[in-house]
Amino acid sequence: MAKRPASAPVTSDLLGLQGLSASALRELLTATRELATRGVKGDELRGHIVASLFFEDSTRTRTSFAIAVKRLGAEVVELIGAGSSVSKGETLIDTARNVEAMGVSAFVVRAKQAGSAAMIARAVGPPVINAGDGKHEHPTQGLLDTYTLAEAKGRLEDFDLTGLRVAIVGDIASSRVARSAVAAFSTLGAKVVCVGPPGMVPGGFAALGATVGGSLDGVLPAMDAVMMLRIQFERHGEGKTPAPAGAEAPKASPIASVREYREFYALTPERAAKMKKGAVVMHPGPINRGIELDEAVADGPRSVIMRQVTHGVLVRMAVLRWCLGAR
Amino acid sequence: MIDPASELDQVLDVAIADDQVAAIGRRLPRADAEVVINAEGCLVTPGLIDPHVHLREPGGEHKETLHTGSLAAVAGGFTTVCCMPNTTPALDAPDALTNVLDRAARTAVCRVFPVAAATKARRGDEITEIELLARHGAVGFSDDGDCIASAGMMARVLTTVQRTGLAFMQHCQEPTLTRGAAMHAGDVATRLGLGGWPRVAEEIIIERDLRLNASIACRYHVQHISSGGSVDLVRRARAAGQRITAEASPHHLLLTHDACDGYNTAAKVNPPLREASDVAALRQAVVDGVITILATDHAPHSQDEKALPFEEAPFGLVGLETAVALYAEALVHSGAITWPRLIALLTLEPARLCNLDAVGLGALAVGGPADVTILDPALRWTIAEHDLRGRSRNTPFLGRRTVGKPLITIVAGRLAHGADTDRIVRRRGAPTSRRHIAP
Repeated sequence: MAKRPASAPVTSDLLGLQGLSASALRELLTATRELATRGVKGDELRGHIVASLFFEDSTRTRTSFAIAVKRLGAEVVELIGAGSSVSKGETLIDTARNVEAMGVSAFVVRAKQAGSAAMIARAVGPPVINAGDGKHEHPTQGLLDTYTLAEAKGRLEDFDLTGLRVAIVGDIASSRVARSAVAAFSTLGAKVVCVGPPGMVPGGFAALGATVGGSLDGVLPAMDAVMMLRIQFERHGEGKTPAPAGAEAPKASPIASVREYREFYALTPERAAKMKKGAVVMHPGPINRGIELDEAVADGPRSVIMRQVTHGVLVRMAVLRWCLGAR
Repeated sequence: MIDPASELDQVLDVAIADDQVAAIGRRLPRADAEVVINAEGCLVTPGLIDPHVHLREPGGEHKETLHTGSLAAVAGGFTTVCCMPNTTPALDAPDALTNVLDRAARTAVCRVFPVAAATKARRGDEITEIELLARHGAVGFSDDGDCIASAGMMARVLTTVQRTGLAFMQHCQEPTLTRGAAMHAGDVATRLGLGGWPRVAEEIIIERDLRLNASIACRYHVQHISSGGSVDLVRRARAAGQRITAEASPHHLLLTHDACDGYNTAAKVNPPLREASDVAALRQAVVDGVITILATDHAPHSQDEKALPFEEAPFGLVGLETAVALYAEALVHSGAITWPRLIALLTLEPARLCNLDAVGLGALAVGGPADVTILDPALRWTIAEHDLRGRSRNTPFLGRRTVGKPLITIVAGRLAHGADTDRIVRRRGAPTSRRHIAP
C-alpha cells in the first residue's frame, strides 16, 4: 500500500503476497530479472539507511538482505534480539519507533509473531518489508521461489506460470513460506497442491488458492516442481494457550516418528526418480537432511535450491527499490 | 414502562421513595416529589442485570476496578453485575468473596454480586468450599476463563453446586483442542497464520456436561455461547427437559472472524468470533427461547496489553457501556424480538439465573428495590471513546453507528448515571428522597 503521496517518492510496505495483484508481482519479478541480466549501478540507494530488525533467528534472509542493501549502495543497521517475553509487543513497536526517530529509510522485520510486520508498519512512517512473521508470510521468500520456478521452467519472459503444477510438501500449517508461495504461484497461474500429514495441512489452504491433500506418491509424477518444507518442531504448540493453569500439556509433537514421516513424505532418491523430466526440487532452507529431503536429492541434478539462495539477493534488491520508490 | 416479571408494558408513572419503588400507576401525584424525571419517549425498565463481567479487582486494577467497572455498568444502564472469579487471587474462598463485597459496598455505584470459583485457584483439580461460598454471597459458580476439563471433577462440582440451588456456569472449552489458539479455526486464521479455536471444542464440553448432569440435575449454564452446533445441543436438551440455560454476548451476535483481519486485537475474544452462520444461529436461538440470557463478558484490558502481537494479546473486550445499543441492533432492529422481550433477557432472566429475583431484582414492583433504567430506544449515536466510562478501551465497536441508549440509571433510589440530562427537574423545598418518573 502506498504510504507517502507527498512530493517524496511513493514508498510502499511489503507485508505479504496474499492480495498482491499479478501485475504487482510481475513488476517485482521483472525488476529482479533486470537486475540479474543488466546488473546494478551500485549507487541507486546511496544515502539510505535500512534498519534490519531481527527478533527471530535467521541465516539466509538476514544475510541476503544485508548484501542486497550493500549492493544498492545503501547502508544497513542490524538489530538482533530475541525480544523480551511479556512486553514483546510494546518493545517491538517501541524499538521500531526509536529507530525511526534516529532516521532510517526502511525497515526489514523478522519476528516470531504473526502480524508483527503489519503492526510495526502501522506504527512507523518509513516502508516496512516483512522478512517473516510467525506462521503468516515471508513475501521475499515467496518471490524468490517464484523467480526460481519461472527460471527453471523458462517463464522469465512474462512470469506466466499457467499450466505448471507445484506440490508443497510437509509442515504447511506452520509455514509462512507456504502461505506466501501459494499466493504468488496461484496468482500467476500455477496449480498448487499441499501435501503433508494430517494436522500439518489445514483445509483452509483451499481458500488461499491451493488444493489440499493427496499422497506424495500419488501427485509426484505429475508435478513440475516440488517444494519441500522442514518440520518446524519449534513452532508446534506455541502461542498463548488458554489451557487451565497447571494442566499438564502433552508434548505437542507434530509427527509420531521420523520414520513414519519419511515413509510417506520424504523426498528420497527413489521418489525423485519418479518425477517427470525437467521437474525441479526446491527448499526454502534450512534443510533437515535425512528427514524431509535426502542428501542425494538436495544436491542432485533436479535441485534448484542454490539458485533460490542466489535469487534471494536479487529479489530483495528489487523489493528494496520498489518499497523505497526507486522504481 | 416495561416490567417483564409482571408482564407490564404500559404508559405509567413510577414513584420512588428512598431505595424502594413507592408506587406505580397512571398520573401519580408529583407535587411532593423532590425530583421529577421526564421519561417521554423512553422505556422505563427494571435495572438491567449483567450476569457475566470481569471487574479485575483484586489483582488487575490497571485494567478495571470495582469502582470503574461499576461506572461502566451504570453508563450502560446496568444496575447489577455479577463479577467472575478469575481475579488474582481467584475468588475461591469465603474471605475473598467478603473482600469483594466490602470493597464493592464502599466503591461501586451499582450492585455487585460475586460468582465464586468452583475449584481452587481455578486450576480444576481441587474443589472449593462451595456450600460455604454460597453462604458468603456467591450467586453462582464458575471457573470462567478456564473450563473444568476433568470429567471427574466436573461431576463432583455439579453434585455439590446442585445442593446450593445456584447455577454452575461453564466456560466451555476443551483445552487440548485449543492449544495455541488465537481465533476461530477458519479460513481467516489460516490466512493470517494464527492458531485456530474450533467450534467442536465448545460443543464437546456441552455434550459431556449434559451427560454428566443428566442424573445430577444441577442448574447448568453455558457461558458466552459461540457456535451454532452448541445452540443445537442446548435446544435439544431444553426440549428434553434438562436444566440448562445459555447466554449470548453482543459481539457473538454481531461480528464474525473477519473482524480479526489485519490482526485487530480488539476483536480477539474467547470464545472467538465465528462465522455468519453462527451469528444467525445465535440470533435464532434468542428468538426461539433457547438462549434466554444476554451477558457482555465485559473483559477490560490495558492498551499496552492489546498492543501486543495478536497471538500474545489477551482475549476479551469491554461491553457494558455499549451493550444495549448492540443488543438492540442484533435483536430488535433486525426484527428478531421485541423491546419487552429484550428487556426480559436483560432483567428477569439473569435475575433468575443468579437467584436475584428472590430479593426483587430484575423486576419493577411496589415495595421492591428502586433499580430503574431509562433508555431512549430511538436515540442515534456513534460509539466513541468518551462513551467508555470504565478504565479500558478495548472494543472493536468504536466508531459504530447505533440506535438506542440508556440515559438514566437509578440504583437503590439513587441517580447513578444521567444526572446531567435535562430530563431531570429538581424541586427546591420538596421533601427529600422522593423521585418521580413520568412518561
